[in-house]
Amino acid sequence: MKRDSVVSRRSPGGGLIHPPHDVEQVARILERWVSTPGSLLPILHDIQAAMGHVPPGAVGQIARALNQSRAEVHGVISFYHDFRRSPAGLHVLKVCQAESCQAVGSRALTAGIERLLGCKLGETTADGAVTLEAVYCLGNCACSPALMLDGRLHGLVTEAKAERLIATARKGA
Amino acid sequence: MSVTVCVPRDSAALSLGADEVATAIALEAAKRGVAIRLVRTSSRGMFWLEPLVEVQSAAGRVGYGPVDASEVPALFAAGFLQGGAHTSALGPVEAIPWLARQERLTFARAGITDPLSIADYEAHGGLRGLKRALSMAPSDVVEEVFASGLRGRGGAAFPTGIKWRTVAAARAPRKYVAVNADEGDSGTYSDRMIMEGDPFVLLEGMAIAGHATGASHGYIYVRSEYPFAVAALNAALAVLREAGWYGPNIQGSGFSFDAEVRVGAGAYICGEETSMLESIEGRRGVIRYKPPLPAIKGLFGMPTVVNNVVSLASVPVILDKGAQAYADFGLGRSRGTLPIQLAGNVRRAGLVEKAFGVTLRELIEDFGGGTRSGRPVRAVPVGGPLGAYFDASLLDLPLDYEALAEHKGMVGHGGIVVFDDTVDMAEQARYAMEFCAIESCGKCTPCRVGSIRGRELIERIVRGENPQANHAQLLKLCDVMENTSLCALGGMAPYPVISALRYFPGDFGLEQSKEPSCVV
Amino acid sequence: MWSELRALREDVDYGTPPRDGEPVTLMVDGEPVTVAAGSSVMFAAAAAGRSVPKLCATDMLEAFGSCRVCLVEIEGRKGFPAACTTPVEAGMAVCTVSPRLSELRAGVMELYLSDFPSEDIAGGWSELHDVIAATGVASSPYGPGENHLADPIDQSNPYFLFDPAKCIVCSRCVRACEEVQGTFALTIAGRGFDSKVVASQGESFLDSECVSCGACVQACPTQSLVEKSLFEGGYRRADSPQA
Repeated sequence: MKRDSVVSRRSPGGGLIHPPHDVEQVARILERWVSTPGSLLPILHDIQAAMGHVPPGAVGQIARALNQSRAEVHGVISFYHDFRRSPAGLHVLKVCQAESCQAVGSRALTAGIERLLGCKLGETTADGAVTLEAVYCLGNCACSPALMLDGRLHGLVTEAKAERLIATARKGA
Repeated sequence: MSVTVCVPRDSAALSLGADEVATAIALEAAKRGVAIRLVRTSSRGMFWLEPLVEVQSAAGRVGYGPVDASEVPALFAAGFLQGGAHTSALGPVEAIPWLARQERLTFARAGITDPLSIADYEAHGGLRGLKRALSMAPSDVVEEVFASGLRGRGGAAFPTGIKWRTVAAARAPRKYVAVNADEGDSGTYSDRMIMEGDPFVLLEGMAIAGHATGASHGYIYVRSEYPFAVAALNAALAVLREAGWYGPNIQGSGFSFDAEVRVGAGAYICGEETSMLESIEGRRGVIRYKPPLPAIKGLFGMPTVVNNVVSLASVPVILDKGAQAYADFGLGRSRGTLPIQLAGNVRRAGLVEKAFGVTLRELIEDFGGGTRSGRPVRAVPVGGPLGAYFDASLLDLPLDYEALAEHKGMVGHGGIVVFDDTVDMAEQARYAMEFCAIESCGKCTPCRVGSIRGRELIERIVRGENPQANHAQLLKLCDVMENTSLCALGGMAPYPVISALRYFPGDFGLEQSKEPSCVV
Repeated sequence: MWSELRALREDVDYGTPPRDGEPVTLMVDGEPVTVAAGSSVMFAAAAAGRSVPKLCATDMLEAFGSCRVCLVEIEGRKGFPAACTTPVEAGMAVCTVSPRLSELRAGVMELYLSDFPSEDIAGGWSELHDVIAATGVASSPYGPGENHLADPIDQSNPYFLFDPAKCIVCSRCVRACEEVQGTFALTIAGRGFDSKVVASQGESFLDSECVSCGACVQACPTQSLVEKSLFEGGYRRADSPQA
């Protein structure tokens, strides 16, 4: 299953119908930031931290609060790879694909993790447990290969270590 | 009479189990009824020894590493609190040659202090730079930085003093300091170490910059891949405000300065200064053309000092010890020290701060101990994904701006990634174009489309489809990207590709004798 | 002097907006030209009758600097600055034509044409076709690769359509909707090669905040956004049977 699949439906007329979202929660976040200059990214980060994604239905609400157009807000959300339009799986596993980790076998490690999970980079496992993502450098280049699981950083990762980490995460789910 | 035991809280150390080690030490000490004072310090930057546990003794700090949580009971049994013998015993940490041979100015406190203790910071030279700066006229502070010869440590190497002069001279209702902490180059982590391990030195440098140029507010743009750095900076800001070193009328000087952290959102291009400014303003991280320079028209249209983390972290020591003391390190036009980050397939990876002039060979073999795999070194990208790959024959070059530039290499952010002889350089070249494509902001055609075509050409060459013709087209494409791109992402993505073609043509299935017509 | 400066020709697109400022004299291809301070080199070249080829620039919009076609050589300066984003300076010596510039401009055009319907290169009459003629690039040397040729056409609006296969992501439409109309109905979604012009949150033009003013259609240099009335019997792509 590809992560970030489009979840808004098209009405017969071609307009988008978005799934409902928690308007109150978004309103609270907006109120905190609306008088700070250039606050759109902090707003989007807070929404995603609270809700696991940035609901497409919230774009209009954000735009109105910031006196911007929906197009402008949508353009920003879609530019940055961090922002999801739909929630990720229960666990998010980011495996570094950049040079330092390449130098010590990250390609093979990634292929092993893909086999283990049964999904490719950018996808979520069929049972929705793990979303696997590519990340380009975690700053842990002295301890390559590196990965981040649910915000926790791991270094000198082997396929065996990755397998253990994933199994532990799944059990704890 | 409790013994002080230090366990790093640097995220690299955490990635190897430092938290588990700290917990195990606390538990074991409690079990044995032994009084210890456990301090979570920054890391020394000797990452092959992490988790590195240090015990304070009368003769200084004695080290044990790498330590696994399961070995903690055995360490206690071996009397490690008194420096007892154990297989992981390292002796006095500061006598370890790897560390002793460095010239740590910016990283003077690495591994020594508690990153969030202002008392520790001051006891180790902290705040002396800001105190002196506040007693000087702003223009004198600018001139001190100019005289030091400090050049931007982010990669562009622009003289910091000149940048500050420009902002200081600009007339505007407000000015800003914007710190580029979007350290996205693979192989680099010095910014991360400063932000996590010595956040006060960055914040002190920012305040000095503010005083010198007339800026009263700062932004630190940290990539989202660095959550520990974000947390450490926010905690450090709170400590400084509480202690009266940030905020209105700092220590009664009349100078007000404060800052906030802004988190990136997964875009390497936001490490380019104009893209970063767009991002802080809440926009898509698209490149702005220059002129106008950010120093004149930057954040929200106002004059803005944009500096890298290490550049600003080097400012306090310049103010404290004086410009000449800093400039005396180094050679030619490369003054001061550079924090070099060893990474990739190397046995002893970590932070090496040296005056300019040390060679790549010394770094990789003497400090690094050669490859982790034990196989020969084959290729070394110097300066990040936009720098040339050097082959083993170039390792006697000194790490300085001019010497490397002669070979189309670059110091960049000081990261050195070691590849052994299992590397496929055609695959690395393909990755260089692919990375450019993934991270391209999309504004300009040479990068947006060129990176895709570059990747496709390399794939064709490797598949053996018309290799000579595609090679020639690839060189032409590289020429177009280098000379017409709007910024250095498209402009320099050709460098790793051209260097791979030049030094490792066999990996592409091309003949050795073909000399590229476009010599990088 | 002022009447000369203000005598802007209707039939010339100067590339960047006219400015109000003290007269500045510079050399373009060896001939002196005087324009207001704050004008771009592109404006000065057009005023001198030495227009530089361009795609993302038009004098009803502020400069953008993305197409990389309008490159020039300036004495004493390294590289090949874009004429649209380079301000004039007194005594500047600009060269708009050289073998190197031709080579680089052609290289950029080849990249554009590598993601453009090949059947629409010859015989067209958009600004893009003017630049194709000016640079002498009639085809792309790049083999089959990633492209946007099959991206869906938006025909929702009764007056105009959007065919992304011809879009060169110059953003003139987005900028026109912002600067000329003030509606901000358009944006570029995604980034890099995935960049695409969308209305509002990716809706059809008709369902978005678009007010059908046509500023984007007027601004588009490739007829990616184009009036439906120009196509009797409906719009169709050269390789597809249906409109």
